[in-house]
Amino acid sequence: MATTEAFPESLKSLPQAPVTEPDFLHVSKGWKSWAFTLDHKRIGMMYLFGILFSLLLGGSFALLLRTELWSPGRTIVGPDTYNQFFTLHGAVMVFLVIIPGIPAALGNIIMPIQLGAPDVAFPRLNLASFYLWVSGAILLVLTIPFGGLDTGWTLYTPYSLETHTAVMVATMGVFLLGFSSIFTGLNFLVTIHKFRPQGMGWFQLPLNIWAIYGTAIMQVLATPVLGITVLLLTVERFAHIGIFDPTMGGDPVLFQHFFWFYSHPAVYIMIIPGMGVISELISTYARKPIFGYRFVAYSSLSLALLSFLVWGHHMFVSGQSRLANMVFSALTFTVGIPSAIKVFNWVATLYKGDIRLKTGMLYGLSFLLLFTIGGLTGLFLGILSVDVHLHDTYFVVAHFHYVMMGSTLVAFLGALHHWWPKFTGRMYNESLGRTCAIGVFIGFNTTFLPQFVMGARGMPRRYWDYDPQYQIFHQISTIGAFILGISLFIVVCYLMASFWTGAKAARNPWGGSSLEWQAPTPPTLYNFEKPPIVHELYNYDDLVEVAPDRWERLSDAPEYQGAVPVASGSKEHH
Amino acid sequence: MSDAGHDDHGHGDQSPFIQHHYDDAQHQFDSGKFGIWIFLAQEVLFFSALFVAYVLYRVHHGEIYSYAHKWLDVKYGAINTAVLIFSSLTAAWAVRAAQKNQKTLLIACLATTIACACGFLCIKYIEYSHKIHEHILFGRYFDPCVSPGGEELLTRKNMCPGSKGSVIWDAGSDKPTEGCFEASKLDLDTKLAGVQADCEVQIVKVDEKGKEQPGGTPVTNQCPDELLTILNGSEAGTGKELVKEAAPKFPCWRPAYQPQVCPDLTTPEQRNHGAGMKSQVGILVEFGDHEEREGIKIKAKCKDASAPKPMDALALSHEKPTEHVGERAIKPVHHISTHEEHEIESLGPPPEHTSMFLTIYFAMTGLHGVHVLVGIFVFIWLLIRAVKGQFTPDYFGPIDFAALYWHIVDLIWIFLFPLLYLIH
Repeated sequence: MATTEAFPESLKSLPQAPVTEPDFLHVSKGWKSWAFTLDHKRIGMMYLFGILFSLLLGGSFALLLRTELWSPGRTIVGPDTYNQFFTLHGAVMVFLVIIPGIPAALGNIIMPIQLGAPDVAFPRLNLASFYLWVSGAILLVLTIPFGGLDTGWTLYTPYSLETHTAVMVATMGVFLLGFSSIFTGLNFLVTIHKFRPQGMGWFQLPLNIWAIYGTAIMQVLATPVLGITVLLLTVERFAHIGIFDPTMGGDPVLFQHFFWFYSHPAVYIMIIPGMGVISELISTYARKPIFGYRFVAYSSLSLALLSFLVWGHHMFVSGQSRLANMVFSALTFTVGIPSAIKVFNWVATLYKGDIRLKTGMLYGLSFLLLFTIGGLTGLFLGILSVDVHLHDTYFVVAHFHYVMMGSTLVAFLGALHHWWPKFTGRMYNESLGRTCAIGVFIGFNTTFLPQFVMGARGMPRRYWDYDPQYQIFHQISTIGAFILGISLFIVVCYLMASFWTGAKAARNPWGGSSLEWQAPTPPTLYNFEKPPIVHELYNYDDLVEVAPDRWERLSDAPEYQGAVPVASGSKEHH
Repeated sequence: MSDAGHDDHGHGDQSPFIQHHYDDAQHQFDSGKFGIWIFLAQEVLFFSALFVAYVLYRVHHGEIYSYAHKWLDVKYGAINTAVLIFSSLTAAWAVRAAQKNQKTLLIACLATTIACACGFLCIKYIEYSHKIHEHILFGRYFDPCVSPGGEELLTRKNMCPGSKGSVIWDAGSDKPTEGCFEASKLDLDTKLAGVQADCEVQIVKVDEKGKEQPGGTPVTNQCPDELLTILNGSEAGTGKELVKEAAPKFPCWRPAYQPQVCPDLTTPEQRNHGAGMKSQVGILVEFGDHEEREGIKIKAKCKDASAPKPMDALALSHEKPTEHVGERAIKPVHHISTHEEHEIESLGPPPEHTSMFLTIYFAMTGLHGVHVLVGIFVFIWLLIRAVKGQFTPDYFGPIDFAALYWHIVDLIWIFLFPLLYLIH
């Protein structure tokens, strides 16, 4: 618990910035120093800006969709254009924003520092991953001038073999993005295994790193299947090999199996890093050790494992066997267990906590609510008979937006606000931040709660037109989407503005206990000017707020040297 | 690692290739080794979808595997297996040579590995080019000129190389048809055989203006035991024989490339079902070349087949019908040994969706070939570095990692060889 007692004044005069070395933003200059950088923080920042740009692109498509759905029939575009809008919205958001969002961008920037490492294990591979991402992103965006894409992000055969839109450009893009993801996962796995400092055992790892570790396993083991699938689809498109083409004896449902064998784990590639972030946010802003550390850590791994066993629940109506349907349905419910473990542990962490409602915490609390709704509605869809009714309706749309956006994107925003001062060295406008966090929460629920209702009443997804009885829900949803869009736009604006107008950030503005808060703000090229000391994780007793948004360790005060016990790190965390 | 290590930029006496963010050479090596193992796991998953597709289609269409695998030459496959296993040995040996600082041996091992990899691809090139030549290809391009047993087949596009060719003549429109037996156009349970028996087929020579030369050669049905007609005639006006021993050599009426239309005539009910089939005649003619083919016209005149001949008159159904369920439609009438059956299975037109075997064959060996090609470039890069003397006993990681990669490429081939070449 943070102390309100008097603290030694000497803490205030502890040095705030590295005296000897320039920070990573200023260590070298010129565009080449960024384009060819091997520094994980710079690569992560390039990812971040690419992802924020993609978010604006995907978000624009979403607003166009919602505008079209304001009234039945044609509002602004025709059905063909509408099909391209929802396809590109999905493809951009999934492949360019949500999947790389936390692991590639924030994971790259924060994870090695949190680990106390000077860099990731393979910096050149890291840069290669980034350029694979850029190439894939360019190809995905190039589908627009090359005839668009109207298959839905799922690229289901046989339609994707017949359509005249730019499927091959998109599949090549997805292939490159997949390998970007694989190499990032590989890099992180090796980094976490081989770069832990002495005294940091597996159970002294921050939960964010556990989450990134689980994610990396899935990235490495699931994404190759997507790679070969889109490769086969590409070859099928130009060489007509027939593997997914029923007219030549191929099996289009096989494509669905391959696709979901990746894309179901991909759902967890998207959500687990968000869960890792939330563990950090909840604990830091509630000033309490995370409740049930080992359970939260193991639940990340078990989610990663279970994610490989439930892909068939996307295919209950595809004609797969009844036995398969029942097995997949039963396995689907097991996913609820580790998810619930996490939620209960976060709530228990909040209990009797000294909760600080900073922007990051507002996103953290939003996540708890939205993820709970998203997760529980997933159970509806796991029930076979209910799924037959709800399959391909707005209920599904609402469900996965609660998980993908309400949870992952909200966690991404929370992480962005939590670590923004650390890697930019600047504070953003806190009151704008809180307002927008509330705006995102209200806008999001206004958009997607009505979709549950109209989905349950039978409104099919991906339809350009609808019966007038659904209009009121569509209109509420569209209003919500604009609240959400405007809030997100303001977030991007004030974050960018902070580069010029933000106050200089302290080394530890939120009182975090993990290693990244020991690094200079912004960190130096190899992250630490002196080897970091591994304190007991999620123990906040030693931390005091010496000034607004500036925390120091009591044990760092000259007069307290040796007086306050410092966990060596070898002690197992409870 | 306890030290972020950025005050020790030179890493002492270590190899200059030890990167700055590692503690020491061992740390770099361990990280690389762990990384390459994860990469190999990724490779296994990358190939896994193809193996799943292989199993799936084999379970559902075992007959196409037992038919089509005979197109593959076990001899070439076996040589390639030996070549790859040997190159894996030299790759592993290269690691040892680098550890022991034996530069000459290292260079020799790397060069041998590259040579073996190139040899592998050369043999693959021979195999592929043969298949491309004979149109033994995947999906839409599957239009084989010869069966696995070496017979010429009726083909769809009539583009087979050399002097062989075939024409499917639509007697109704008096034109060659390109997509000859289309299921949608033919009711194949009808009396294909009866109709064909009632057709009169002639080969005539035409001049440049398309005018028929006199003296067309009649074509007779000479299929002794089976259903239909392959012509046996002599070139019009010359007396020169066009097709020698064509009738016994080629199976009679069996659609060659689009087996979904292959009539299942194993039971009398099937043979007697339906009527009205007419006007499609399959005729295989041997031509000199394309120009000669231009000058040939095949005339077919079929009687209305609304009253077909009773099928039982045709000597076909000496075997129990149930034995043929799910198998190829037409079986020889006499009893045959298992060995003969294997021989015969590779004769005749392919069963339905045989192209799927070729799809899987080309996808698996093609992706494997790309990996071999990548391996060649990696080993050339290593060879250059070895010649420059950059590898030392405390820095040989790249050779170790490349050798591990090479082993998995080898291992995948060791699975592919039996699964594609050695099955029955």
